[in-house]
Amino acid sequence: MLLYVARCAAQLAVALVGIVTVAFFLMRAIPGDPAIYMLGDYATTESLATLRARLGLDLPVWQQYGMFLASAARGDLGASVVTGQSALAEIWSAVPPSAELAVAGMSIAIAFGVPLGVIAAVRQGTYVDVAVMALALGGISFPVFWLGLVAILVLSHDLGLFPALGATSEPGLWPAIHHLALPALVLGLSVAAYIARLTRSAMLEVLGQDHIRVARAMGVPERRIVWRLALRNASIPILAVIGVTFAWSLGNAILVEAVFSRPGLGSTILKAILARDYQLVQAGVLVLAAAVVLLNTLLDLVYGAIDPRLRKA
Amino acid sequence: MTAATFELRGLTAAVPGEKGAVRLVEEVSLSVRAGETLAVVGESGSGKTVTFTSALGLLPKPGRVIEGQALYNGTDLLSLAPEALRRVRGAQIGMVFQDPLTGLNPVFRVGDQIAEVLRAHLPIGRREARDRAVQLLGRVQIPDPARRVDDYPHQFSGGMRQRVLIAMAIALGPRVLIADEPTTALDVTVQAQVLDLLSELREEEGMAMVLITHDLGVVARQADRIAVMYSGRVVETGTVDEVFRAPRHPYTISLFRSIPDLDAPAGTMLAPIAGAPPDPQRRPAGCAFAPRCFAAREADGCMSSRPLLTDGAHAVACHRQGMLEQAA
Repeated sequence: MLLYVARCAAQLAVALVGIVTVAFFLMRAIPGDPAIYMLGDYATTESLATLRARLGLDLPVWQQYGMFLASAARGDLGASVVTGQSALAEIWSAVPPSAELAVAGMSIAIAFGVPLGVIAAVRQGTYVDVAVMALALGGISFPVFWLGLVAILVLSHDLGLFPALGATSEPGLWPAIHHLALPALVLGLSVAAYIARLTRSAMLEVLGQDHIRVARAMGVPERRIVWRLALRNASIPILAVIGVTFAWSLGNAILVEAVFSRPGLGSTILKAILARDYQLVQAGVLVLAAAVVLLNTLLDLVYGAIDPRLRKA
Repeated sequence: MTAATFELRGLTAAVPGEKGAVRLVEEVSLSVRAGETLAVVGESGSGKTVTFTSALGLLPKPGRVIEGQALYNGTDLLSLAPEALRRVRGAQIGMVFQDPLTGLNPVFRVGDQIAEVLRAHLPIGRREARDRAVQLLGRVQIPDPARRVDDYPHQFSGGMRQRVLIAMAIALGPRVLIADEPTTALDVTVQAQVLDLLSELREEEGMAMVLITHDLGVVARQADRIAVMYSGRVVETGTVDEVFRAPRHPYTISLFRSIPDLDAPAGTMLAPIAGAPPDPQRRPAGCAFAPRCFAAREADGCMSSRPLLTDGAHAVACHRQGMLEQAA
């Protein structure tokens, strides 16, 4: 078990280095100069050169990369060129609202997706199955910003059930949940659709296996067979798709944050990219990537807990 | 003669096909009494497994029983509501399947799987179910059951897994045990151990046992009576003694001829049965075995009408019956 955890940690480190490397070079491949952005179009050549030297931008890119890695290894991701604050601290302050949205969205996705997928599999070929799968197809096909706008129009504007703004400064738990509900629902629905489709096919496969036939022959009630015996078998692919869609829903979260005017990583990173705020973008990408990799590492550990055969590997 | 514990009467099961229902098994009548072992033999696809899965309401959809009865102590299982039938399955009638490697759920401890069966039928708690699971593992001669109860299926060998499945099948003290080729997937040395275990359990519990197999050697050692199936029908049935000493159906006769005989002179060729069993969708109009039969004759109706199983203890379904006996 310890070896397994150690291996996961090593994978985590390698993945993070790879991701920040890509982010580093991608940002520098985008045309634009943070010095010009900060000093404006009328800055003198000397002041630009001074600023570039201060930011280390006059050095060759590979040297900048080396310095970046060296300081990143010490936990220092540099300061935002715009605000002068620690990039990591600035990104970190945008994490809580995004984490709220992501957790709420994924919870909704799982709470809807898994049961619907199971029911569709059990009722394979009936109108229930067809209806669930049609709904799932819709959930996958409609882009999240469109769903968001429709949700605002119908649920907020027409019916007045939820506020159109996805965040509030009002204190208390209820206002926070009330404002979070709509963005979380919009973010969760498309993921729920993926999870439902995958759950259905995973369940269909498991329900055809011999050990299910054995359980039926032993008189185990159908409800236990489906929701306990079969679902635990199907849970590995379901968890795998949750891991994959989590990354994808972080991307969607940026759109949802924009539609519902929520603060969060999305808007912070977007602003940083437009400002060529290299340090801030790098820190943001690192945090997002770490979230995805950590979740997947966690899932790897859960796989081992569910299926003992995966522990040795 | 005591009444049959488990009896099939004219059981016919079918799946929908392009040109109407395809009958997988037709008019199967069999019975087995307490303490007795009935062997059901026949080649792959002859309907052995379908017969018993449909009798227990386990035939996968869209297959269904279209005629006949499956009587357990006089009650027709096929007329029971699903929940009532579930209570019979596992509790009154246990079943052991062919492939122990896939028969256990890979993500549950074996003890939990046995407990699941116990708790499906009995109002007992987790701890008691676990204690009983340990006892049952001991019953099927798994060494160190108190430790093994927490192991997962992949930590067991094939033979040990079949023992676990047998433990599940006998967990509730069923009166009938249906063993569907329980040793086919096991290696030869383990086969004998598992078969011995099954007959020990049958004797101790006084169960009625149905042993589905295609191994005539197993039949000779384990069974009291035999039913030979071909293309969805029972073609010959009788005591093992009768049928082995004087097989009457040409298919049974051919089966015995196709078995290697250690006493035969070296170089003697086996006599395989030419051809293959018919597809249930395209059974010939007459006797299903006629195209492969050494004795079939147009004049006796072999090609045009379905022979019916005769009455009596040693019954056979063959138009050429009388002629064959005269020849013998």
